[in-house]
Amino acid sequence: MAWTFRFLEDIAMADTAFEAEGESVEEVFRGATQALIESMANPATVSGGWERAIERTDVDPSALLFDWLSEVVYWKDAEGVVFREAPLTLTREGNVWLLRARLIGAPVDYRTQELHADVKGVTKHLYRVSQEAGRWKALVVLDI
Amino acid sequence: MTLNTDMTVNRITDEIWEIPISEKPGMLVPARIYATRGILQAMDSGVFDQVTNVACMPGIRRYALCMPDGHWGYGFPIGGVAAFDVQDGIISPGGVGYDINCGMRLIRTDLTLADVQPYLEKLMTELFRKVPAGVGASGFVRLSGEEFGRVMTHGAKWCVERGYGWHRDLVRMEEGGCIEGADPSIVTDHAIKRGINQLGTLGSGNHYLEVQVVSNERIFDPVTAAALGITGHEQIVVMVHCGSRGFGHQVASDYLKVFEKSMRRYGITVKDQQLACAPFRSPEGQEYFSAMNCAANTAFANRQVITHQIREAFATVFGRSAEALGMELVYDVAHNIAKVERYAEGELVVHRKGATRAFGPGSPELPEIFRQTGQPVICGGSMETGSYLLVGTDQAVRDTFGSTMHGSGRTMSRAQAKRTVRGEQLQQQMKKRGILVKAVSMSGLAEEAGLAYKNISEVVESVDRAGITKKVAELRPIGNIKG
Repeated sequence: MAWTFRFLEDIAMADTAFEAEGESVEEVFRGATQALIESMANPATVSGGWERAIERTDVDPSALLFDWLSEVVYWKDAEGVVFREAPLTLTREGNVWLLRARLIGAPVDYRTQELHADVKGVTKHLYRVSQEAGRWKALVVLDI
Repeated sequence: MTLNTDMTVNRITDEIWEIPISEKPGMLVPARIYATRGILQAMDSGVFDQVTNVACMPGIRRYALCMPDGHWGYGFPIGGVAAFDVQDGIISPGGVGYDINCGMRLIRTDLTLADVQPYLEKLMTELFRKVPAGVGASGFVRLSGEEFGRVMTHGAKWCVERGYGWHRDLVRMEEGGCIEGADPSIVTDHAIKRGINQLGTLGSGNHYLEVQVVSNERIFDPVTAAALGITGHEQIVVMVHCGSRGFGHQVASDYLKVFEKSMRRYGITVKDQQLACAPFRSPEGQEYFSAMNCAANTAFANRQVITHQIREAFATVFGRSAEALGMELVYDVAHNIAKVERYAEGELVVHRKGATRAFGPGSPELPEIFRQTGQPVICGGSMETGSYLLVGTDQAVRDTFGSTMHGSGRTMSRAQAKRTVRGEQLQQQMKKRGILVKAVSMSGLAEEAGLAYKNISEVVESVDRAGITKKVAELRPIGNIKG
């Protein structure tokens, strides 16, 4: 696993902040996606059964990550689901980044799933995707 | 005095502190914080940074304000209030929050603690069953797209028309539970799909439904309390805290994107991306205002449907109708909203983010029933410590654009709270203290432990002494439902 994430304690204390890190932009997307999924429920307690294939493009990987994370939050409410995993690939053609992802989860059931927070939105407060010392990092604050 | 900032903070009174415009490049007005010395000293650095960022926004008038429950948010601090001129000022989703018209509602009853205590477990189970809570929860109301449009334009009035409430409920809501100027045609399909199945649901985070007790010794103003239906003698009341759910969250997300692009066109720069804004009179500003009103009305409707469910649950458990149980609404008030209001400077777009409208008895906007008392203000504390009913004052209208606090405010991050206490352990401890908690998420419960919040009584003292709201009664929890 070439990505990690950690929740940050001293930022926006009523909300949830995390920093994802990876060896590539693709890996930082994976780390940030996992952090978001775990903010909403323990993925180990979520079965499959619900699935969406999602493709998105942008010239700016920072904007692409923001839109992708926002889309995950959207499906949570639109379909009343929480998520087990979201395998994804990120490729670059010319100056365009292409995200291909599968969002896999199940309808919300508090009796069988360990539910966490109902994320309202992905904010732009302190939001950044950057490359530092050869590692890619994303700082994200979620409104809870 | 040691503060979590290097900025100069001048004492105006013991409850009002001012950061002059010299403290940050671009400040157009001073920033004022309402707090006791102790609360000010405990405020995190984000409050000072964010309230001074707000003071830099175009068209701001008089002061950027932060209430004593203020803490680090995103864009505006939580507890932030700012008023912008309708002609040359802006409107910003970051000054409203994602949960548009998140707000508080209080319902009185004729029941006493002695009546309810033997049935508390049954009552909380019934409430937990009838009012869905937690991540992605959906409600029992099924709507077509067209009917959801009527919810957006009519708010709580739609509910009353459909039998989810009483006509007399409407006068006891800010704006009668229906704000004009909502246009469903400009709301995105994404927002509709996110919210259409969520009417009558609580959500999670700090949202809750709470059964509370009012004791005689915790009524500070018996005349006003009686006028609002609060009689004490271990009276049972019910408090609801929630907002516009996924629908409002998506409206906020949609317009942050719109404003990020349009700011460049209007030559606006802001200190934080989350303060993205547009001139209020611009097409983008007017569209957001209209979409925000759609979400605000949906929030009024959400709390009204929840009220209907609460009344049904009480009627089921106690075998009498809600009317026979005296379950009248005390008030419903928003604390995440932007509204056009008239002050000494003229018409202003007042943003309240984690702050409550607090109009005094002299306000012509209030219905006749509140002309003697002032507008009720409902402030939720932590689930362990209690909440307050207050009333607005004419001084608030003069000093703080008719605004006051909304709750106790956090002092500890969610992660730290979870490390300090476990949800199951907290639930047991609270049960021993006579507070029955039903929760969808145990980690969510731990995040909302009382130790993560400021002492609400000290926060309330700040606004009471500052004269911008007056204490009426303290409400002590005995049962709580959390998402």
